[in-house]
Formats: sequence, C-alpha cells, structure tokens
Amino acid sequence: MELQLGLALPGSDTWSRPLLKLGLYEDINVNSKKRGFDHGYLEDEFSAASFKNYEKGLVGWPPVKTWRRKKLRCQVHNHMTAAENGCCVGRASNSTYVKVKMEGVVIARKIDISIHQSFETLTTTLMTMFDIFDENRRSFKLTYQDKEGDWLIAEDVPWRTFVRSLKCLKLIRSRGYQ
Amino acid sequence: MQKKMAYSFPDEVLEHVFSFIQSDKDRNAVSLVCKSWYEIERWCRRKVFIGNCYAVSPRMVIRRFPEVRSIELKGKPHFADFNLVPDGWGGYVLPWIAEMAGAYPWLEEIRLKRMVVTDESLELIAKSFKNFKVLVLFSCEGFSTDGLAAIAASCKNLRELDLRESEVDDLSGHWLAHFPETYTSLVSLNISCLGSDEVSFSALERLVGRCPNLRSLRLNRAVTLDKIASILRRAPLLVDFGTGNYAAELQPDVFSNLAGAFSSCKELKSLSGFWDVVPAYLPALYSICPRLTSLNLSYATIQSPDLIKLVSYCPRLQRLLVLDYIEDSGLEELASSCKDLQELRVFPSDPFGAEPNVSLTEQGLVAVSLGCPKLQSVLYFCRRMSNAALVTIAQNCPNLTRFRLCIIEPKTPDYLTLEPLDVGFGAIVEHCKDLRRLSLSGLLTDHVFEYIGTYGKKLEMLSVAFAGDSDLGLHHVLSGCESLRKLEIRDCPFGDKALLANAAKLETMRSLWMSSCAVSFGACKLLGQKMPKLNVEVIDETEPPDSRPESCPVDKLYIYRSVAGPRFDMPPFVWTMDEAVKILH
Repeated sequence: MELQLGLALPGSDTWSRPLLKLGLYEDINVNSKKRGFDHGYLEDEFSAASFKNYEKGLVGWPPVKTWRRKKLRCQVHNHMTAAENGCCVGRASNSTYVKVKMEGVVIARKIDISIHQSFETLTTTLMTMFDIFDENRRSFKLTYQDKEGDWLIAEDVPWRTFVRSLKCLKLIRSRGYQ
Repeated sequence: MQKKMAYSFPDEVLEHVFSFIQSDKDRNAVSLVCKSWYEIERWCRRKVFIGNCYAVSPRMVIRRFPEVRSIELKGKPHFADFNLVPDGWGGYVLPWIAEMAGAYPWLEEIRLKRMVVTDESLELIAKSFKNFKVLVLFSCEGFSTDGLAAIAASCKNLRELDLRESEVDDLSGHWLAHFPETYTSLVSLNISCLGSDEVSFSALERLVGRCPNLRSLRLNRAVTLDKIASILRRAPLLVDFGTGNYAAELQPDVFSNLAGAFSSCKELKSLSGFWDVVPAYLPALYSICPRLTSLNLSYATIQSPDLIKLVSYCPRLQRLLVLDYIEDSGLEELASSCKDLQELRVFPSDPFGAEPNVSLTEQGLVAVSLGCPKLQSVLYFCRRMSNAALVTIAQNCPNLTRFRLCIIEPKTPDYLTLEPLDVGFGAIVEHCKDLRRLSLSGLLTDHVFEYIGTYGKKLEMLSVAFAGDSDLGLHHVLSGCESLRKLEIRDCPFGDKALLANAAKLETMRSLWMSSCAVSFGACKLLGQKMPKLNVEVIDETEPPDSRPESCPVDKLYIYRSVAGPRFDMPPFVWTMDEAVKILH
C-alpha cells in the first residue's frame, strides 16, 4: 500500500476511493468479549487496569463518565439493602430490575423494584408504563412468579414477602377473580 | 511616520485600552499587530488558558506572560472520562505549580481539568500564593483531604473551592475544620464528589454561618436531608445549592422545616444533588420551582410521574439534567412547560441493560425540539433513532450549538427504515449552522462524514465511534471542517491514508485521538518524523509497538500540536514517535 504524505493544507487534492478496503474492522458482537483486533489483550496482566469497567466486552461504551457510573451503582446498592434484596433478575447480580409482561403485549418491560415501597406506587407506575387509564385499572390484576416458579396474585401477600420472593411480574386482565 | 505612531499612544494608555480586552482570541490578535503591542500586551495579560498542558511548557508561559493572575490548564484527553486512557498516562500539575510558585507570587486563580493533582501540589499552592482566591479541580485525581486541609488552613482570601467530579482520597471529614474561625470570604464551595461518611457537619455549619458572601454550595451525600434546613437558614442568599442525600422517612415536622428553609432562599435559582430521593420530599421544593433556571436531577432515581410534576412547576427552566426515567411523556411535559429551555441532558439509568427499561425514545427529543425554540445544547442517550426524527429536530432547532446523541447499541440503524443515520446527522450539520460540538452514534457510513465536511464549518469538536467504511470518511472531516480543534475517534476503520494526506491539518488542531482504528505503526513513525510540531504518541499496554511489523495497527494514538517538544514524563506504555527522543525512551 502506497503511503502518500501530503504536507500541503487540504483543499486542492483530488481524492479517489482507496482501492484497498480495510477489512480489519469486524462487526462488533457486543455480547462477546472480543475486541476489534485479535491482540489477546485479555490474557495480559497490563490490561487489567484499562478493563476495570469491561462490561459487555466494550471498554468505555456507552460513554457514561466513570464517576457517574460509580455514583449510580452506589445508589442501586443502597436501594437494594433497603428493599431486602429479593430480586435477582438481570444480567448483573446486584440488579434490582424485574421483567414485567402484560397480557396481550409482545414486548416485555423492566422495572426497578427497589425504588418502590408499596403496591400502590408499583401499580401506579405499571399503569403509566402500559398506558392503562385510571378507569381501567380495576380490570387488570397484578400477578407474580415467585422463586419456586409458582404464579401468585401480588396483593394477596404482604409487600415484604412479595419483594423477597419476586422473580417476575405479569399484568393479566381480570376475569372475575376476586 | 512610524515614530509618530509610537509616541501618539504611550504604553500606559495602550495598556489601559487592552485591559478591556478579556477574550484570549482578541488578546492573541492584539499581540500580532506589531512588536510594541506584543510587548505591552504580554506584560498586562492576567489570564491564560492552556487547553493542553503538554502544548507548551510552564517556563515558556512564564517567560512570555510575567504577570499572570489566573491560569486554566487541561490535561488528559476527553476519552479519559470513559476509561480509555490508562492510569499513569500523565497530566501532572506539580511541575506547573513548582514553576509558578517562584514566578507568580500573586497568582489568584487555578482551574484544572483532567489533571493529576497531588497533596504536595496543594500544599505548595497553599504556601506559595498569598492572595490565592479560586481553586477549581474538575475531574481531577491524585489528592486527598489532607491536601484540602492545607488549602483551608492557609488561603485566607479563598473565594472558591470547587472539586466537581474529582476523585478524592477521603481520609477524614475534618479537613473542613481547618478553615480558621477568622476566615469569612467563601463565595462558592462544591464538595459534592466527596464520599466521606463523616463530613464534619458542625464545622460545615459554622463555616456556612460565618461566610456572608456564600452564593454557591454543593454538598456531598454524607449530608442527610434533615440537615439541609439548618444549612439553608444560615445561607439565605444562596443562588446555587446542591443537596446531599435527599432521602428520609417522611416526617411532617422535617418536611415543613425543609419547605420553610427552601422558601426563605429568595435568590435560589439552581439546584442539584438529589441522591437517593424519596419522592414524598419533592413538594418541599415547589415554592422555589418558579424561580429555578437550572435543575440537575441526573442522580435522582425517581419515576416519570414525580419528575413530570416537578418540571411542570418550573416554567423558567433553562437547563435540565435528568435520567431517562423522565421518559417520552415527561419530555413532552417539559416541552409544554419550559419554553426557556436551552440545555437538556438525558442520561441512561441502565446503560448496560440489553433491553430498554424505560419508555424513552427519539419521540421525547423530538417533542422538546418542537416545544423549546431556544434549545442550544443537547446530550441524549436513547436506544432508537430515525433519520426522520433527526431531520425534524434539525429543522426545529437551527440554533443548536452542541448536539451529542448516544444510541446505546453501537451501529444501530434507523429503526423505521433500517438504513444508516447519515441523512439524519447530515440534516443536523446542514441546518445548525452554528454547531460547535457534535457526537455521533448509530449506523453510519462514509456519507455522514461527507455531510460533516461540507456543512460543519463551525464545528470545533467531533466525537466518532463505530462509524464509517473507509479512510474517505476521515478525509472528509479533516479536509472539510475548517474550525476543527478536537477530534476523537474510536473503533472506526480509518487508517493511514487520510491521516497522512491531511498531516498539515493536524497542526491547526489542538488534538486527535484514535483508538481501535487501523493506523499502522509505520504511519505513526512517518508522521512523527515529518511533523516536528506535532507530538505523536502511541499508547500500547501489551507490548512495544516496534516489536511487531510496521504495518500492524496501533492500539491507541494521541496526536497534539506542541511548541514544547516531546514530553519526558511518559509512562512505559506510551511511546513518542519523535525521532530524536525515541532512542532515549
């Protein structure tokens, strides 16, 4: 490959597409731990320092300041202790996010359970999330799957029990269950 | 004729005239008029801004400007914020302080960004500058509360101590008590970055109480909600306040005390902090909301309904920083309530989650662009975008000066058409003629760079990640963007050709960062050889770059212009391409 050094300021050159298309750049598979170039970085001890936030295989992406990430992580941790750590759905073990599905809706959502202290606030948030108006509130029932895999009605148990054994949530249309 | 000109304006008159010229650009222009103006100007320049601490040496600055009172220095490249610059890279302030200690005994202000500051540096500052007034350490590291104690104890005339986003080694909360009882000149204090579980609260209370000029106070998380009222009552003239922890069990007397304290601060215009928020305490703010122009809720993990309510009470809001919990619905409310909005930053609450956890899409930003005609600055994290939305935003907000969009998943296409987002970003640069800063994301080909090179004439800073197809992309930017000062690129297929063909351009810029691209070691060496006014530095933590073939790409490359020559404080993993120094390293 011919390297041409252009010392003049840009503007006068005619540029033609390079004949050689650089095939070095591979599609980044964000779920793998591979980096763009095979340099075996992960094995090297020097790498440890630069990979301290090596989540999802990409250093420094998304571009959230390390400082900000630390502060948010701290907060989640504090909420966790407050919410008595009942949920462990999510890719990281300290995540307090729980999957929420609504009957008839294909795409599941996620909700941070640690910021709620009662069924009241949880239900209000879910209603807003799925665009359910106040009038229709009573036609939906909040159910949850516990650690044993059983599906139960949320409001049948005390809040603390619910949070401790919660695995995921589902809003179902009330069919006369009372 | 020349003699006549020189005597018609004595130096003192010119100096007096120059004292009205504050901007660096203008002062630089003045100094180029003629030799005598250069001389007069350099003796009366009081403020120096150095965007890259390695572009010039302390001695050179002191030699040219002997009477400086205020200095601002920046160290590490911007991508250091995202862990791309290894620890120990550099940016040490001590050599600067050491030189200035002797040369500038009357130095009043030091502002540093992304620099390594040690306790030794802080102690030297405390000892050397008798009239020291302002210390701002933005995103700095390397010091502890011991260094702060030295500043507190010695700087009798200190006005401003701002440690925003710095990493401080919290050895003890008692450093605050080192401010003597006779010290009363504090105007601004930002300790929000401190972790210390025991910030000496009584010392803080006393300090606040005896400083009548205190206008800005940002507390750290250790200060609990119940303590806020007592602080505010001691500083009723505060204009800017950062809470500590904003969580507590709801107690009516605590609430009413807090609400009363807030409403007694008639000048309060800016709020921040809000760690661990309990929504029930938000109404305590309602009385001051109508006056608020700036609100930073970017650490507040509160849900959309509470955010919407709060925002709807702030019609004068000019600046909002918030988490994506605000959702599209909250942004729609913002668009209808806050017509004065100039700056919006929406941060991701779950940046590493694979699926969206909140209902925040491009719609929210479109709504704000429609409802807020004064919008100038945007930082937006989201998970989907479309060309149509970007075009709409561009057309609605032609006054944008800063536009930073981060679509969380790299190389995400237009979700409606599955095409690249070239046209959308193209519209942004085309319509926003005053755009100075741009960050790209999503699926992008070389075309977007063609747009940027064609229309981005005022663009000063460009951040690129996972974009482009070939060197043509980089070439468009380097050859087209006339005002470009800072370019940072990661994970793009840009190699030697564009860089070498535009080598001269690099001398007109402050710096270029390229990591995980395709620039070969050979090209770096060539650049280092041919361009003596550029420092070409290769960063490689695994092995020396010359242990591999020259055609191998380098891991990280940082190129910056400098009149100081190559630096000598490089760690083992940084190699300079300067011919003369290479052998020594």
